[in-house]
Amino acid sequence: MSNEAALIEAARNGSATAFTDLVAAYRDGLLRFLLTRSSSFADAEDALQDTLINAYRYLHSYDARWRFSTWLYRIAINNAAKLKSMDTVELGDLSDEGNDPLRQCIAASERENLWLLARRSLTEEVYAAMWLRYVEDMSIKDISAVLEKSVSWTKVNLMRGRKTLDAEFNKVATDEKSKAYG
Amino acid sequence: MDKLAKQLRDDAHRIECSVSEELDDRIRASLEGIQPEPVQRPRRESKSFTFWWASSLTGVAAAIAMIAFINLQAPGSGPAQTESNPQPLIIPTVRWHTETAVLTSPLEQEFEDLQADLKKAEEAVKQDIDRLF
Repeated sequence: MSNEAALIEAARNGSATAFTDLVAAYRDGLLRFLLTRSSSFADAEDALQDTLINAYRYLHSYDARWRFSTWLYRIAINNAAKLKSMDTVELGDLSDEGNDPLRQCIAASERENLWLLARRSLTEEVYAAMWLRYVEDMSIKDISAVLEKSVSWTKVNLMRGRKTLDAEFNKVATDEKSKAYG
Repeated sequence: MDKLAKQLRDDAHRIECSVSEELDDRIRASLEGIQPEPVQRPRRESKSFTFWWASSLTGVAAAIAMIAFINLQAPGSGPAQTESNPQPLIIPTVRWHTETAVLTSPLEQEFEDLQADLKKAEEAVKQDIDRLF
């Protein structure tokens, strides 16, 4: 039995410590992902807490055929969606640097962070698919399971996401160049 | 890994945030306060051989009784004859005024062109997908 499987079994039997150890490797990544979908840092933290509580409570429903992170992200996306439906602030309106939790957490750089660009130009589902693929290294099959979409949908939308981002990125780069040269 | 994928990964790591000690304590306290729901295993019904044998015998007996009952019925007790309906059946007729659409040759040409474009686009998408994944 692998270490992860042993921790899952212990957590299923009521060990909160085993569960904390189990999710330790995923917490920061989940928070980062939830931050890109929340209107405040506090909301992202609440979403993470709800995700972990739900995962612990319903651990019996986890199917070991899937990666644990796949199951965890599925819960996180549901929680973020719930949180957003209660929220009055639209993510698209967070252009003000002072309000946007994602902007506040991004280190200063010469060029714009691609995830800010992605959030502006992609739909939430495509954004999530791109994140799971390029940050979490998930397989197409796992992404389809997390988003509850078909494999073909995932492939096509990942490709569309890439094309859109490429085009947006080139546009921003051209605008910046023309500004620099007056 | 291509350039865009690398940039996406690097930019994700430039988002500086981690679980604070305060949040960690909060999560731990919440987890201590709840219990995971027990594993729900499907109930296994006991199907003994005697039960199976008895139910089969009952089914066979019921079938024999039903066949005997139908065959031993008196010949006059069949379904009652009814008189035919004296009123003639009127079927309303509907007149359709339709014209067949005829594709003129420019339209046909355009349709073929569109199909060809669609096929080309499909092939391009397929190639892109195969190349990427």
